[in-house]
Amino acid sequence: MSGNNHQYAFFLGCIAPNRYPGIEAAAIRTSKNVGIDLLPLKGASCCPAPGAFGSIDLNVWYAMAARNVVLAEQMGMDIALVCNGCYKSIWEVNHKLKHNDELRDGVNEVLKEIDMEFKGTVDVWHLAELYYDPEIVGVKKIADSITRPLTGAKIAVHYGCHLMKPGKERHFGDTENPMWIEELVAALGAEPVQYRNKMQCCGAGGGVRGYDLAHALDITNEKMINMQDVGVDAVTEVCPFCQLQFDRGQIEIKEKFGAEYGIPVLHYNELLGLAQGMSPDELALDLHAIDVEPFLKKIL
Amino acid sequence: MAVKKDYKDQNLAEKLRDRKYYAPDSNPEFLKEVENIGQTAAHMCYQCGTCTGSCPSAPRSSYRIRLFMRKAVLGLEEECLTDPDLWLCTTCYSCTDRCPRDLAPTDAIMAMRNLAFKRDIVPRNFLQTVQLIYKSGHGVPNNDANRAARKKLGLEEEPETTHKYPEYLPGIRKILDHYRLKENADRILAEGE
Repeated sequence: MSGNNHQYAFFLGCIAPNRYPGIEAAAIRTSKNVGIDLLPLKGASCCPAPGAFGSIDLNVWYAMAARNVVLAEQMGMDIALVCNGCYKSIWEVNHKLKHNDELRDGVNEVLKEIDMEFKGTVDVWHLAELYYDPEIVGVKKIADSITRPLTGAKIAVHYGCHLMKPGKERHFGDTENPMWIEELVAALGAEPVQYRNKMQCCGAGGGVRGYDLAHALDITNEKMINMQDVGVDAVTEVCPFCQLQFDRGQIEIKEKFGAEYGIPVLHYNELLGLAQGMSPDELALDLHAIDVEPFLKKIL
Repeated sequence: MAVKKDYKDQNLAEKLRDRKYYAPDSNPEFLKEVENIGQTAAHMCYQCGTCTGSCPSAPRSSYRIRLFMRKAVLGLEEECLTDPDLWLCTTCYSCTDRCPRDLAPTDAIMAMRNLAFKRDIVPRNFLQTVQLIYKSGHGVPNNDANRAARKKLGLEEEPETTHKYPEYLPGIRKILDHYRLKENADRILAEGE
């Protein structure tokens, strides 16, 4: 059945498997339904967190991310992943090492100590871009895989930062007002809605969530206000760290600032899972801090 | 250490002497280091302020990315590295996307953070992440509640990462030890207590 499927080494990262495992379960099942097999990338670690590690010592960041890439090289498979932070580390380090001999030599000197070598033989993809790519999946195939359209649901898209920015080093085109994830949301039968300052950061990145939570939440709060203003039923993203910031962040915002939004936060793969007929239990939606029930009532 | 910018005409030099900017603590090497680590030509910055205007942290703090860019160019190492605002960049890259000089102010900030760390200036949460990864391979490790949830989903309790295959941890520790990262993180955290 899956003989003709595209195969990728599935890089999990931290927050998806260890905080929102529904994203992991959904990614594997929903991808299979559109012709992608996600295979385990055994022994992968944290990407490592680009904000935390990159800020301390970029060389360690390169070497640690390169180790994860080499695991996929050993499988002879491209990497697919579901998190913008992981994308920044894994895609960007892979890209830099492929194009900078000096950097690659330096990293390989360290990897030699653990009998590894970065060869530059694989590519790195975010699942969302594979879904959008008509040569791999494409919006039509996503729409065709739907058994339970999310009719009537108004959904805000949060792109996050590290998938598409900095635009000049990436390949996604416009970073001021992209619409491709909206197309993926519309394919589920939902209504993607525009809101003010859509491309603003969630506030969590760069180590700021750990360094100054109130500051990070204030940025998040601005986004919540802008989404609430246009009356959304949920916000979707393609980054578990943004998800954590919006989901748990709304609880923290209530505690710190007294503001309450109650906007459910769903990773695109969780939305896709619902639209393909997966039950809320199969997606572990009960782990979400913000009750997803009002959204489910609207679509089920 | 500041380089004297001199005019060949001595009379002119005398006349304009007190208009020159001499920062007693300026270190020109600092700019070179920032440009080298950040891989961006910070000295090309013409201070238009598009970066600060695009910055999500600017409206809610005293953090000004434009100011850091200027201070880097002026070699004001001490001011940059000891400013707590240095750690308020969310690395969203909006400034980098919009910079009309095609610079990467975000990466200049990352470079300054790297240089601050060399002097043991670093917020505790960054170091705690290092400790977590050294221990488990994950910055955000698994826990019992999550294991139970994974089981209910039909996933294995431990994901296919270093959690399920701890035999990969020694390799990770070797990389971190190569840069003495864990050792430094432990030491700085202990000194701060």
